[in-house]
Amino acid sequence: MKATWKSALRDYSMLLALAAIWLFFGLKQSVFLSSRNLSLLLIELSITACLALGMLLVLLPGQIDLSAGSGVGLAGAMAAVLVFWHGVPAPAALLAALTVCVLVWSAMGALIVRQRIPAFIITLGGLLIFKGLHWLTINNQTVPVAEGGKSNAFSLLTTYYVPPLGGYALAVLVVAALVVSSLRARARRAAHGFQVPDTERTFLGLFITGQLVLLLLIVTNQYRGLPLPALVLGSLALLVHLLTAHTPFGRYLYAIGSNEEAAFISGVPIQRTVITAFALMGGVVALTGFMQTAYAGASTATVGSLMELDAVAACVIGGTSLRGGRGSVTGVLFGALIMASLLNGMTLMAVSPELKFIARGVVLALAVWVDVKLNSEG
Amino acid sequence: MSAAQAGQAPPVLATRDLVKRFPGVTALAGVSFELLPGEVHALCGENGAGKSTLIKLLSGIHGAGSYEGALLANGQEVAFASTRDAEAAGISVIYQELALVPEMTVAENLFLGRAPTRHGLIDWDAVYSQAARVLKAAKIELDPTTEVRHLGVAARQLVEIAKALSKDPKVLILDEPTAALSDDEVQRLLEVVRDLKARGIAAIYISHKFEEVFKIADRITVLRDGKSVVTLSTAQTNPEAVIQHMVGRPIGELFPRRASTAGDILLSVTNLSAAPSASSTVRLRDVSFEVRAGEVLGIGGLMGAGRSELLLHLFGAYGVRLSGEVKLRGAPLVAHTPERALAAGLALVTEDRKRYGLFLDSSIGFNLSLSSLNRLSRRGLIEQSAEVSRAQELFGSLRIKAPGLETAVSSLSGGNQQKVVLGKALLTEPQVLLLDEPTRGIDVGAKLEVYELINRLCEAGKAIVLVSSELPELLGMSDRILMLAEGRVGGSFVRAEATQERLLAAALGRARHSSPRSEAVSP
Repeated sequence: MKATWKSALRDYSMLLALAAIWLFFGLKQSVFLSSRNLSLLLIELSITACLALGMLLVLLPGQIDLSAGSGVGLAGAMAAVLVFWHGVPAPAALLAALTVCVLVWSAMGALIVRQRIPAFIITLGGLLIFKGLHWLTINNQTVPVAEGGKSNAFSLLTTYYVPPLGGYALAVLVVAALVVSSLRARARRAAHGFQVPDTERTFLGLFITGQLVLLLLIVTNQYRGLPLPALVLGSLALLVHLLTAHTPFGRYLYAIGSNEEAAFISGVPIQRTVITAFALMGGVVALTGFMQTAYAGASTATVGSLMELDAVAACVIGGTSLRGGRGSVTGVLFGALIMASLLNGMTLMAVSPELKFIARGVVLALAVWVDVKLNSEG
Repeated sequence: MSAAQAGQAPPVLATRDLVKRFPGVTALAGVSFELLPGEVHALCGENGAGKSTLIKLLSGIHGAGSYEGALLANGQEVAFASTRDAEAAGISVIYQELALVPEMTVAENLFLGRAPTRHGLIDWDAVYSQAARVLKAAKIELDPTTEVRHLGVAARQLVEIAKALSKDPKVLILDEPTAALSDDEVQRLLEVVRDLKARGIAAIYISHKFEEVFKIADRITVLRDGKSVVTLSTAQTNPEAVIQHMVGRPIGELFPRRASTAGDILLSVTNLSAAPSASSTVRLRDVSFEVRAGEVLGIGGLMGAGRSELLLHLFGAYGVRLSGEVKLRGAPLVAHTPERALAAGLALVTEDRKRYGLFLDSSIGFNLSLSSLNRLSRRGLIEQSAEVSRAQELFGSLRIKAPGLETAVSSLSGGNQQKVVLGKALLTEPQVLLLDEPTRGIDVGAKLEVYELINRLCEAGKAIVLVSSELPELLGMSDRILMLAEGRVGGSFVRAEATQERLLAAALGRARHSSPRSEAVSP
């Protein structure tokens, strides 16, 4: 009896925390639940969550990337400088910065697994080096992502909104895909004689998800439509989910994180897997950098600062183990939503930056403590 | 019953009919022996005969109440609740694994955790002067201010002895103290033990090396299958007689090996030498053998003979090859990784399954398919139906006792965990299967199932290399047996010629080869 109560609390603890946060901000500051703010929150969430999904790929095999925040700043800076100072077309500039990031992160991964330098050290070095390079690149100035008044592929990343009709069409597609995949999963489980979750629960789950997607669109359409970063996040989340749950690469990430020696003996290509995880992280860092810089409108010295900690926090709040081997995409998305909601709400309430830091730190410590508590006797 | 010196003083330490049971295993099944004052008493027995368990009882690691029978010190029955009690009674143990902190000095290590203090601060003058006194008393010439990491293995061993002596023991237990020492270092250590004996400290000396045993021990007690078989006076016996007592048990119907016909050579190893790294000492020397389809090659040897290292090296997971060749179905394996070994048709089941074999928190299904994911994928995605049906097949044929594939491995018994490790290897459909102690720590029923599996695999034309430290298992399950001694082939036998005595002699490096060393004879 107590055990089921506890496991229910564990399953829904994040949902409860999120509800509490939203209730608090909703009551304190009615603007919080306005469609304009929710639309902005969605953009902020998308940016945080993208980086956190990349971080998940690195945390699963028991590594860490402390350089992600500095990398975000550097990637945005490289692209902005190419576009604004050198007149390079935005798509080409983005591609160039993305390529650099993928290469640099692969190199960090190689240093970690080939030279056996701990990821903590390598990426701590990266944090400092990339920050310096970032400031050198923009020459300590403010570099806009597009000519004043104009827009390009770079600036559109966070200013483009999918028009209402397109949004609804997408929503129908997404819900249909969810229904089909869940029905197929049920059929497969049944065919192998596994326990199949009961029909009502499956239906209820799908129904609620469908309602939420619809609600999301109604709210965003009241403002300007579905923001592009939300689409980016959706695609990335799907990709990371496929990678972690349905490919050998993903299994290897979990295997390395839970027992590296056994993984090696089981024939897991440890070096290749970890380097690939870092290469993917490089790509995610670049993508996040582009969005974060575009959201700020220009590359400045503070873009990306401390974002690695938000990403790690989102992962950990979402149930990812820092020792590796445990974590999931849905958990990370929830964790990111909690972090983004907190930041957004506090900004609306004009909480001072000092207090914001303290609040985020407390929430992180609290979340992990609750997780440890709930897991210890379960 | 009583020994040469018996008569006046009661034994400093004695046991009477000790029985110690673990779940599923009886480790000690009646051990009685006496340690007389000032005597060096050797314990001999095969791996698994119960020596380590006996020491753990004597030193209080397995406390009173966890065993049956009696422990006596100076004729009085004693009950040690913990190692502290045993130490208080004057029993000090020096374990195989050295327990020193390398970054600390000799003196700091000697008084670790019990350093003399003044006003709550460690009195370093006292630490160093007392350390010097302890070392001098034991005639150990070491500078107490040297950091332990600068010392060699032998000197560290001496520090351990000094540490034990600083507790003023009546009884010193040395567990394989010379396993890692060179000949000179062994002599030095034996000197120290003789010296202690002269000071009236009794010692229990455990070693596989008969030379030392016969040099240092007054009496020898032989353990076999958890029982004390006999106590012999060293002066009136010889190594051959001791070996006779150590083995000498009939092989029952425990090993249902069915003969199968040998086919082509699947794995051949010629003049293989390997070391842990390019600059370290050689661990495997000039090893040659071959295994044919449908054949079981047993590999035996004492602890540290290089059995596991050999298997790990063949599998690409250990050391650097200095010379020699390994061929799998005629194709050489050079500088390979486990990933490539598996792709080539070689699979390994390791000895330490929790460390090298299992992902304990993950499901049975995750564990079973991990080594075969590439073959279970199409266009980069794992085909779940193929994965589940292959895993389900093994789950059934290995008779893994669990609710289903989604059960976490950590909740399984040792035997079922071992089946999962075996299943992971089998799912890769190997041609050659390397098994390192596949039946260690599992119950008799599960053992029989493993033996049955070996039979089935042989009949299906696989080649099997079976490493075991249990001679009866080697004799019962192998077609041919290779004994390793200190990294070399100590002897190779076809089953019909092999006896426990001959195998053990080969393992001790005193073999009379029954067949030429470098060529393996197939039946």
